[in-house]
Amino acid sequence: MGLRALLLEHADARDLTQLAEYEAVGGYASLRKALGMERQAVLDELLAANVRGRGGAGFPMGRKASFLPKPDETTKPIYLVVNADESEPGTFKDRELMLRVPHTFVEGIVIAGYTIGASQAFVYVRGEYLTEYEVLVAALEEAREAGYVGPDVLGSGWGLTIVVHRGAGAYICGEETGLLESLEGSRGQPRTKPPFPAVSGLYASPTLINNVETLATVPKIVEMGGEAYARIGVENSAGTRVFSLSGNVVRGGNYELELGTTLRELIYDIGGGIPDGRELKAIIPGGSSVPILTAAEVDTPLDFDAMAEAGTMLGSGAVIVIDDRCCTVQLGLRVAQFYMHESCGKCTPCREGTRWMVQLLRKIEDGEATQGELDVLLDVCDRILGNCLCPLGDAAAMPIASYVAKFRDEHQRHIDEGGCPFGGESSLDGVVAPVDQHHAHMRGQIEVPTHA
Amino acid sequence: MSAPELVTVTVDDQELQVPKGQGMVETALAAGIEIPVFCYEPRLGPPVGACRMCLCEVEGLPKLQAACTLTAQDGLVLRTARTSEKAAEGQDAILEFILLNHPLDCPDCDKGGECPLQDLTFRFGPGSTRMQFPKRTFDKPIPISPLIALDRERCILCYRCTRFSETVAEDGQLVAVNRGAQSVIATFQDEPYRAHFSGNVLELCPVGALTSTTYRFRARPWEIQNVPTVCGLCPVGCNVWATTREGKVARILSRNHPDVHEGWLCDKGRFAHEHVRAPDRIRTPLLRVRRRGFEEVSEDDALDAAAEGLRAAEGSVVVAFSGAETVEQAAALARVARKALGSHSALLPDDWDPGLDAFRAPLSAIRDAEVCLVVGDDPVVERAPIVDLWLRSARRAGSEVVTLNPGGSVPVAPGTAAQVCASLREGGKRVPKELRATSERLREAKRVALVWSQDDETGGRHVGALANELHEGGGADVAVYVLPRAPNGRGVAAAWHAAGEGDAKPAEEGEIGALVVSGDEAASDPRVRELAGRARFVLTTAMFQSEVTAWSHVVLPGTSYLERDGTFVNLEGRPQRVRRAVAPPGPDELEWLSRLGERLGLDIAPWAAPGTAEQAELPPADEFAWSQPDPQVSAGKSAGPGLELVRFRPLFSGAAVERVPQLAFQRPAPEVELAWDDAQTRGIAAGETVAVSSNGTSRELRARLNRRLRTGVVRIADEHAEGFEDRVQVAKADA
Amino acid sequence: MSAAPATLYDRIQAVAAEYPERRSAILPALRLAQAEHGGWLPPEAFREVAEALEVTPAYCHAVASFYDMFHLEPVGRHMVEVCTNVSCALVGAQQILETFERELGVHAGETTPDGEVTLRTVECYGGCGWGTVVAVDHRYREPVRPEDVPGIVRELRHGA
Ligand SMILES: Cc1cc2nc3c(=O)[nH]c(=O)nc-3n(C[C@H](O)[C@H](O)[C@H](O)COP(=O)(O)O)c2cc1C
Ligand code: SF4
Ligand code: FES
Repeated sequence: MGLRALLLEHADARDLTQLAEYEAVGGYASLRKALGMERQAVLDELLAANVRGRGGAGFPMGRKASFLPKPDETTKPIYLVVNADESEPGTFKDRELMLRVPHTFVEGIVIAGYTIGASQAFVYVRGEYLTEYEVLVAALEEAREAGYVGPDVLGSGWGLTIVVHRGAGAYICGEETGLLESLEGSRGQPRTKPPFPAVSGLYASPTLINNVETLATVPKIVEMGGEAYARIGVENSAGTRVFSLSGNVVRGGNYELELGTTLRELIYDIGGGIPDGRELKAIIPGGSSVPILTAAEVDTPLDFDAMAEAGTMLGSGAVIVIDDRCCTVQLGLRVAQFYMHESCGKCTPCREGTRWMVQLLRKIEDGEATQGELDVLLDVCDRILGNCLCPLGDAAAMPIASYVAKFRDEHQRHIDEGGCPFGGESSLDGVVAPVDQHHAHMRGQIEVPTHA
Repeated sequence: MSAPELVTVTVDDQELQVPKGQGMVETALAAGIEIPVFCYEPRLGPPVGACRMCLCEVEGLPKLQAACTLTAQDGLVLRTARTSEKAAEGQDAILEFILLNHPLDCPDCDKGGECPLQDLTFRFGPGSTRMQFPKRTFDKPIPISPLIALDRERCILCYRCTRFSETVAEDGQLVAVNRGAQSVIATFQDEPYRAHFSGNVLELCPVGALTSTTYRFRARPWEIQNVPTVCGLCPVGCNVWATTREGKVARILSRNHPDVHEGWLCDKGRFAHEHVRAPDRIRTPLLRVRRRGFEEVSEDDALDAAAEGLRAAEGSVVVAFSGAETVEQAAALARVARKALGSHSALLPDDWDPGLDAFRAPLSAIRDAEVCLVVGDDPVVERAPIVDLWLRSARRAGSEVVTLNPGGSVPVAPGTAAQVCASLREGGKRVPKELRATSERLREAKRVALVWSQDDETGGRHVGALANELHEGGGADVAVYVLPRAPNGRGVAAAWHAAGEGDAKPAEEGEIGALVVSGDEAASDPRVRELAGRARFVLTTAMFQSEVTAWSHVVLPGTSYLERDGTFVNLEGRPQRVRRAVAPPGPDELEWLSRLGERLGLDIAPWAAPGTAEQAELPPADEFAWSQPDPQVSAGKSAGPGLELVRFRPLFSGAAVERVPQLAFQRPAPEVELAWDDAQTRGIAAGETVAVSSNGTSRELRARLNRRLRTGVVRIADEHAEGFEDRVQVAKADA
Repeated sequence: MSAAPATLYDRIQAVAAEYPERRSAILPALRLAQAEHGGWLPPEAFREVAEALEVTPAYCHAVASFYDMFHLEPVGRHMVEVCTNVSCALVGAQQILETFERELGVHAGETTPDGEVTLRTVECYGGCGWGTVVAVDHRYREPVRPEDVPGIVRELRHGA
């Protein structure tokens, strides 16, 4: 367990953004190998590797790919869409991969594209990632000239064109169907499923959608062979993941760990622990969308099942460390503000519920809430959960519910003491969430009163 | 289509046998179980599952499912709020969320009494709100056009209206802006929602957010009466409800005939009804008296004068039809002319080749065609608006829609519709290059729809002959839709021909004994105006004054289709029942004719006895019998200096529209549509004012650039093209 | 694509050609238009994009207003964006914001009276491990500490 570089192998020693450097450490050999195999054979390796999606949902990659019709079973083109919209608060790992090992990423795309018989791939890069976009485009250009990408990949007779598409600032476009809508030129509002993208995705054609990190693992899997890869990590959580460590920790940053490493190892041994001699209070283990863990749960291993047992999720692998200066009502308020700001507005419970949560949390933080309103808050979470069109609603409700559940007395004190027990000393005190500066001002519209 | 496979589903413990894939909302309803919905509306395309009002429990699935997105699959077990605690809670939750920011101002909301949200709140809603915060508020109401008002705070963001605009009418004008809780419905820069079908959003809105400015606060649902009838303003013949209150038409609502119009209406059909109450309407008979002009006279004096004038013509009589007459009315008039006056000469707005009935099909068949071919220079949407919606829905359903006109997908030269049909008929090498692809697609296709969109003196034989070739030659099954000029053009032509033998075209010149002008459309026809100049006696029936009434000797007050009983035959050939929604100010046309008949020794029933049902069936296509000789094809228009002018008659024009102030903004702007290249060579930019001139007449119009319009062609709406010849000069105004 | 054609219309056509369906190019098209119009999207911009992609201005406006990176009101020549999401907030984003507000004399969401700098707060920018993340003219600075702020402001004001 602990640190283990597969994706970021050699990245410290060499500048792997350069094709020559990448080739010098065996780059694109996996692509050659894959092109020499039957499509099904490559797919079998992916299935054997038992890699679960790194984007958040954790669905097995091989299984998802196997849901697509084979090229000869459909008259429509097959598309590969890469989710590089990385916007889950706390997450910045895909960015690291694009900046430091873009060719590994590209190689993964091409191999995956070959496996499903895609003719075109789209990489949806978060709009704010400007430098990342430039590095990726440069790497693609090199790869194209070298014949790894294009109408006839390495003379195999099979071709893949790759379009890098920049988003424009909307968290919901990370949700796969919202991403497809956005890529088709609409407002990025999620679609109902079924039909699933594998059947009817981009332009109603069969589409495989994977996260950057998921695809970046592909060359390694082809190189090692699926079974060998599956032996890394722990049962049901094969391989390594790049974890984004942030918050109240000495050495924040990205660390590639073998799955099964504990939070304690990451936070203390690798991250250098909590600064300023403060106490660990809580941990958000998988991005702001997942339920919180208390300091007491710091020995939970970073693997899918262990996290599920602890009542939370590995999510996007974003570990946010929170020390004892943080008021969890303010935490809830700030998180709720994010989801209200990012709700796409399509379905009722998410659009109305996230806004209501913010209003209630603001009132609790200000010490003006009644006992009843604390229960209403929990009830609102409960009424959002499972009733929305896409998982964003759940992603808003689950964490808030968990904050109240795990820090009930802190919430209670806000009500009993008629104010924040931290008395302005909380690390989150006075946080200013984005007001809706970008929104079109409608005639006669009066600003939604969300934050005082 | 083969019979769909039946599957077994269970809804609230009831086992049901239904066609595989049928929507579960419909399935439940058929079993008497109502699943509440807001965003769900099958006519708007695939379900979106946005409002979540329809949450239900599905056996085997952990989460509640939006029933509107579920279709019948074998073994599906569905539980609605009636039998599932979980579903009931889900439904409560959604209703509470929807009402969070809804004002609940039902007492002064137009929708009150016919509002789904009000009903649901009443039936399932929480007694009191737990929402302690200020609700979202906006100025109210915001006019999004002279016809439509928007109360944003009532909007529940079901996106029905915007989906209509984007995916049915495809006008892309009513949209949702912003994200999340900030989302609102809007038009661009608060410009008016100006589109042929805008009014449909009024009926789609499940709450009182979108209301009609012409109906607002007019009536409460319990004071009104809805009369089932048919719109008489274009040849589609949409089925409608005329909502009447105190003997007046207060609004027109659609009455969905799935084969004719799927429940959509154009704004003319929906809003033009106000013309019935126009102050300048002719209400009493008028008699021309030398020097003093007109004098109001009694009905009998008017009829006596009319009978005398007609008799004096000694058979030299011409009848000018509008095509807006009911079949019964046209038959009566035809008998007066042919039997009583011995004249067989008529001006018909449309003629009809009976052979076309071999290719008769419901409008809904357009959607099933692989290829839809539209020929003719008139924009379909201006001539028969709903046909445009069918063509759009065909394209969305994957059919290839080819439009052959100067601004179409194949921009052919103007006035060449007949040649186009002829060369497509011949096929092979002799097809001009620009038509090759089309010709090949046509011959591959197994299901073809042909639409003819301009006047045709041959009664549709050009397109008929093409249809025949595709059917006989290629074995395709072909549907033909010739778009008549007049609402009942088909019915009137048929009635005229049925009333007697012989058909004498009106003499080109020389004096005419008498001219009978039947209705306002005839009165506004330039050809009729010319005849009136040559007539010794003119009898006109019309609702409003016009140049021709001024020429007339006797004018009888006419009526609107909303005041008449009878039959209209729409462009498909479907005989539909027109019902009197409100009483006319005096006798209607049929009664006038009956009383005129008495004076001419002819027995005519003063009322119609139409047999047609509320929703008429389309008579089956005739036994296949196309035996027409190939029609003569006249050469296209002559070349010459300047640009070739294509005029069109806008939907929003005519006596009725002119009398509805709220429709004024829908009338064509003073624009000239220019091809991109022609604008470039003349240094004209979009939106610039340009001078358009032709034999002495010159007019300043705004330039609209169209990258698809054929070079060398300009398009101008009739009312802005008056006095122009077939070729015009266009130049920058200042130059 | 390298030799960018002259007009906005032509540049949009070039981008659109990369996609199976032209409408997919609406984000790049709006981005080009925004650059052309000094960092925001006035009504003309929507008309231009609409013509190039054969959609309506209303449609372009609907799409643009969905995304945070399109501005529907004028912005300054420079843009300072401070991430105030959880990770950055835990390590003092609000002090950074307050320092910028003091130095620039405007609140978040406002532009300096001279039209030079617009200050915004933004949701997680993906630099959480190196908070506080600040994007200056769309390039990340990580981490930014209160003492760095005056330098950044000077740099923007005097290009020094
Ligand atoms: C609100 C929301 C935001 C998401 N954001 C991202 C994202 O930024 N990046 C990503 O890869 N997946 C994101 N996902 C998950 C995607 O929907 C999808 O599951 C994933 O891209 C599939 O790739 P994978 O199987 O390789 O993980 C998000 C999901 C939701 C519900
Ligand atoms: S205005 Fe009416 S139809 Fe449009 S979204 Fe709102 S509630 Fe739905
Ligand atoms: S009716 Fe099903 S979600 Fe709206």
